[in-house]
Amino acid sequence: MSTTKVPRTRSSMAKREPVLFGTLVAIWLIFAIFIFLPIIRLLLTTFVVDGSISFANLIKIMGKSYNMRALYNSLILATAVAVAGTVLGYIFALAVTRTSLPPFYKGLLGAVTILPLISPPFTSSISLTLALGPNGMLLNALGISDFSIYGFLGTWISETLTYFPVAFMVITAVLNTMSANLDDAALSLGSSRWRMFRTITIPLSLPGIGNSLLLLFGASLADFATPLILGGHTFPVLPTEAYLMITGMFDLKGGASLSFLLLLPALLVFILQRVLIGKKSYVSVTGKNGAKSGFGKLPLSLNIIITAVCTFTVAFILYLYAIILWGSLVKVWGVNNTVTFEHFGYVFAHGKKAITDTLLIATLSTVIGSVLGVLIGYIAQRKNFFAKRIFEFGSMLNYALPGTVVGIAYIIAFNQKPILLTGTLSILVAAYVFRYYATGIRSVIASLAQIDPALEEASFSLGASTVRTFTHVTIPLIIPAVLAGMRYLFIHSMTAISATIFLVSVRWTLLTTRILESMTELQFSQASAFSIVLIVIVFIVDAIMLALMKWSTRKFTQQEAISYEKIGA
Amino acid sequence: MKKKNMLLSVLLLLVFLTPMFAAGVKEADDPDKVGKNVNVYSIMPEKYATKIFAEFTKDTGITVNFVRLSSGEALARLIAEKANPQVDAIWGGPADTYEAGIPEGVFAQYSPKEADKIPAKFRSTENYWTGIGIIPLCFLSNNEYLKKKGLEVPTSWMDLTDPKYGQSLQMADVRTSGTATERIYSLVKIYGEQGAYEYQKNLHKNIQLYTKGGAGGAMPIATGQASAGVFYIVDALDIQQQGYDLSVSYPKEGVTYGIEGSGIVQGAKNLGAAKALMDWASSKRLGEVMVANKINYIPTRTDVVVTNPALDMSNVNLIEAQAEWKGDNRARFVEKWIEEVIQQ
Repeated sequence: MSTTKVPRTRSSMAKREPVLFGTLVAIWLIFAIFIFLPIIRLLLTTFVVDGSISFANLIKIMGKSYNMRALYNSLILATAVAVAGTVLGYIFALAVTRTSLPPFYKGLLGAVTILPLISPPFTSSISLTLALGPNGMLLNALGISDFSIYGFLGTWISETLTYFPVAFMVITAVLNTMSANLDDAALSLGSSRWRMFRTITIPLSLPGIGNSLLLLFGASLADFATPLILGGHTFPVLPTEAYLMITGMFDLKGGASLSFLLLLPALLVFILQRVLIGKKSYVSVTGKNGAKSGFGKLPLSLNIIITAVCTFTVAFILYLYAIILWGSLVKVWGVNNTVTFEHFGYVFAHGKKAITDTLLIATLSTVIGSVLGVLIGYIAQRKNFFAKRIFEFGSMLNYALPGTVVGIAYIIAFNQKPILLTGTLSILVAAYVFRYYATGIRSVIASLAQIDPALEEASFSLGASTVRTFTHVTIPLIIPAVLAGMRYLFIHSMTAISATIFLVSVRWTLLTTRILESMTELQFSQASAFSIVLIVIVFIVDAIMLALMKWSTRKFTQQEAISYEKIGA
Repeated sequence: MKKKNMLLSVLLLLVFLTPMFAAGVKEADDPDKVGKNVNVYSIMPEKYATKIFAEFTKDTGITVNFVRLSSGEALARLIAEKANPQVDAIWGGPADTYEAGIPEGVFAQYSPKEADKIPAKFRSTENYWTGIGIIPLCFLSNNEYLKKKGLEVPTSWMDLTDPKYGQSLQMADVRTSGTATERIYSLVKIYGEQGAYEYQKNLHKNIQLYTKGGAGGAMPIATGQASAGVFYIVDALDIQQQGYDLSVSYPKEGVTYGIEGSGIVQGAKNLGAAKALMDWASSKRLGEVMVANKINYIPTRTDVVVTNPALDMSNVNLIEAQAEWKGDNRARFVEKWIEEVIQQ
């Protein structure tokens, strides 16, 4: 709350753009409470020993080789996941936006890739274990023995499958907003298809690629559920070790110190991203253009590779989810294969509160998070103001931190007056909003990076206010990006667990904790049934959002034509 | 337009800020009055706790609101929430967790009405916790797997180090699981500290995976992904009861046992109801409910008749290990395990 003091440099802005100024102050205040306060409280817990500042906790942690190995492993894993996930996501995005594959097949790609994303990560880890683990179904079917999924390989495969849909979503949004006229121009000027792909498609999708790398790196760096199940003891990573330190050893200080090590790579990636993409300007000078003529075709060899990779990936994902579905329907997994609906009966009898709580929390988080995300993304991309870097970094801080730490930080910060939040709905919503609106902010920024500021400047010079320009020019142009962010927010608010596992209370409970609970209680069938219910709910809501996205892009094309006329006039 | 946007920011702030003030207003009731509700962190698995609490509600009219947490999480939360406790009682979980919490000041002293009917070794010496059930360690193994590898059902700790198992054992990770620390307590009591760690280094060669939860390895063993492991009897019998082809056996060198505790949280807002829960738990009713529902804890009340022959301890070599000793040594044993066993 200390930020309410207004620096002098802003006074001119306060007069020039009072609304922007007011919004900025409000957002700073929100940041102060929900992002900075918990982290500061956590750092105090880490660095204050007996009333004075000390590095004793950190030194103790770093002195242990196991922890340093965890740091190294985290970085390797996050890099591998970011690269593999982005490549896979790019291939899928190309398949959907640039190939002449049948619409049915494209729809299938879209639908299937949503599966890993909308199910809690540990669910797919379990089915991956059953398929590829020791004595796994797939391994037995293929006659392979002596294959261990535990360690880097399994974690990498599982996280890549879990997170590449994020890359797919982000890159598709960017590929869709490119101007097809450039492809036409290149081809009609005699360029080969490879050359067009190399010199137009790839460079113009760089903001999306960079964005995706950053998001995936961050997601992998913070994920604790997958390594928890598949990492085994041979492949420790930092978030898991921090989680184990806190939950297993009751060592909050140690866990906080470990996660402090995680902050540094997160910071590094953030700066890298700024340097790589922030400086260069990738503006399609024509503004945005409806794809009336369609994009240029890709080279045949690339088409074949894309189709093969997509088909294989989709088949594998469907296989993994078939295991979960089968698990929810059989009486006792692996013993009694009689089909029964009794597990679903249990879910609706004993899990009703969890279902309604989760839905309410996810809906609130999505609405609040999207509004905040658009405002922050817009301000960060288009406006210049005091302490902008801190603003931008601060907005992403909860996302970069492992959820476990955010959860503990929230408990420490919000369990005493004047801000008493533990056990409430707000603390769960706040945890989700500030962790998962990051994609929204990033897509808004990436999308804005492709829209020539001249469109807005034209609006200003014609006398429109900041607000009017924002609502009438900017918002319609970035609606697809906003919806992409909303989808991500909703999906994660329904499925994420790392931070909120510490925040569920006797009053508010979540589906994911119920699933993890059933899993640890060996009730595989009930866990599967809970997962299926969760997946179906998210799938339906997601389908609605997708339809909205399509509808909005169509609407935006018309509206854009109108705004073009206006500008032209 | 401007106003609209301003309004939006203010609204946004309100959405976040309202509940934090609202939350601080209520809760001024007399804590000793027995209310209709009690809030609980249950370390005992949800499937057991649900059934037990349903009976408690039937008997007393008090509703139990609970979240299930692992023992470490529950303790971490209690410590974090010390200034404003969210729950009134803790249900289940190993007694050494309670011992670790006593110096942190998170538990309140209370001696339940019928506590004297429970043997003193199953209770806190200073009335911070009361035992509600005991669970010895045991071996769980997959019969088909054993047959395939030409192995017998293990009856000695040494059997598990047989190279024939070849990286097929799953058991709990010492850092997260009370079951796993119990394993160390047993080994230290049998082989001495140095011997116990030498043994564990050998055992490590046969480990496929250390699972996070105490029961985590049971499903892989049931489905034949893993061969065998060390579990609390309650988890082993539970998966066996589901119909899988499994053997439950005890090592001849003996096993220690865990005491499932229960206790009242310091600063409980529903103290009366929490005390009622503790009183009920120390009565014969709890043991009878557990037996009737096939919840395989051995009741701490010796006057409850146990029907399951697998819980007949007369042929099992039970080793005594005091909860205080466990609590005092836990952290050191875990550190040593990380340093010497998994990092070798």
